[in-house]
Amino acid sequence: MLELKNVWKSYEDLQVLKGISFKILEREVKVIFGPSGSGKSTLLRCINMLNPPDKGEIFLRGKNLNAPETDLNAIRSRIGMVFQHFNLFAHLKAIDNVSLGLRRVRGFSKEEARVKALETLERVKMTKWADNYPAQLSGGQQQRVGIARALAMEPDVILFDEPTSALDPELIGDVLQVMLDIAKSGTTMIVVTHEMGFARAVASEMIFLGEGAILEKGSPQHFFTSPKSERVKKFLEQLDILYGGHEKLLKHSNGEES
Amino acid sequence: MLFQARPNPFEDFLKIFGFWDHLLTGFITMLWLYGLAIVIGFFLGLLLAIVRQYGGKIFSRVATGYIEIVRGTPLLAQTLLLFYLPASLGVQITGWELEFDFILLGKDLTLTLFNHAILIGIITLGLNSAAYQAEYFRGAILSVGEGQITAAESLGMTRLSGIYHVVLPQALRRVIPSWSNEAAYLPKYTVVVYFIGVKELFREAFYIMTHPYIAVDPLAIYIVIAIIFLVMITLISKGLDILHKRTGIPGL
Repeated sequence: MLELKNVWKSYEDLQVLKGISFKILEREVKVIFGPSGSGKSTLLRCINMLNPPDKGEIFLRGKNLNAPETDLNAIRSRIGMVFQHFNLFAHLKAIDNVSLGLRRVRGFSKEEARVKALETLERVKMTKWADNYPAQLSGGQQQRVGIARALAMEPDVILFDEPTSALDPELIGDVLQVMLDIAKSGTTMIVVTHEMGFARAVASEMIFLGEGAILEKGSPQHFFTSPKSERVKKFLEQLDILYGGHEKLLKHSNGEES
Repeated sequence: MLFQARPNPFEDFLKIFGFWDHLLTGFITMLWLYGLAIVIGFFLGLLLAIVRQYGGKIFSRVATGYIEIVRGTPLLAQTLLLFYLPASLGVQITGWELEFDFILLGKDLTLTLFNHAILIGIITLGLNSAAYQAEYFRGAILSVGEGQITAAESLGMTRLSGIYHVVLPQALRRVIPSWSNEAAYLPKYTVVVYFIGVKELFREAFYIMTHPYIAVDPLAIYIVIAIIFLVMITLISKGLDILHKRTGIPGL
């Protein structure tokens, strides 16, 4: 459904993406991970053409997004985006955050947009807070509204840019639960995250990005049992320490070999 | 004469209030200039700020150039330049006026809303204020943050729609405290039209001061004028303060 062919992107002298190619099928969930600065966010911003690639092609349902005649706004309305820092419209209530795109892009009437927005807020379990402003919500609640905002547009695919990395640990669970729910309901998703539990549960394929190139890809099973490259092994070890591998950390600090 | 001791300083104030009709028309003229100039400056300033921020390289430079030229040159020079420019280009725009004559409390009052000088005054003050307001607006737009317009664009909204529905509603709320500076400055800047012959407050003060049948301490007149400005600007500040609180975003 979505296909990237040899995508290159640079900012001034810095070559951020060096020939990325992959394909995602309908209802598939792809997880992209890798060290910071490896170009994960840039890749997502290329896909929805917020920062169009310098070179290469991106096809959405057979249509080349990087062609000059493509209507970028129409394309973006079909590719949802969830941001690391939520980026909710600060002056609008939760419900209006969700309905703005419906009204201004999809041409819904006020009432139609309200009904659809409430429906979508229900899916992320935020109906109760529909009339709250973003500043009155916790980070986790804000992110769920952010997901609803993308979801309401019924896009072909939703991109998640580290959706939980700005959240307090105890708020991550709710957001991941919502993401699991919508993944299971058949939404096509590309998720940049280091939440390996999430990846294990729903990812059909994982992509390890390092220095702007795909270093390795495979199923979660592959990565968690037998990653090929040393770089990936090392990175996963680090994550393991971060996410629950405390015993290993203790051994390290006691000077024992693991 | 200025600091001469007088038997009864209140007598001066009483004499000045005898000229309330002059003070009133002067005040209304000042208010008229201020009101129109700040509105022109508001819309043009907003446009300049948006063009400077989002207009692309060329338009952004044009807007920046305008702002820098206007802020870098004296308001008085701008006023005189625009006043004499039509004549030096051979264009005649004198000989038309919009005046109202009316009787109030037994006095004949003449209020001039438009003539050549007033028109030039409004245009100059508006164009000048726009440059300053543009920078307040730009600061507020910057403070809203790139993420907001990015989010709007990610929904498929056009840049213009994102600016209108997402950036401006927040920027205009945020700008009020700093923008109140301009709202408080501009009434006092209207004095420049004195030099092209508009009968605003200071010209009326001069008229009262130099009236042949009456001797008034200039100090007293300027105290009266200062108080008029003080009351007016305090009210404006208070009003903007209330507006700022009323339009505040809950939780922020």
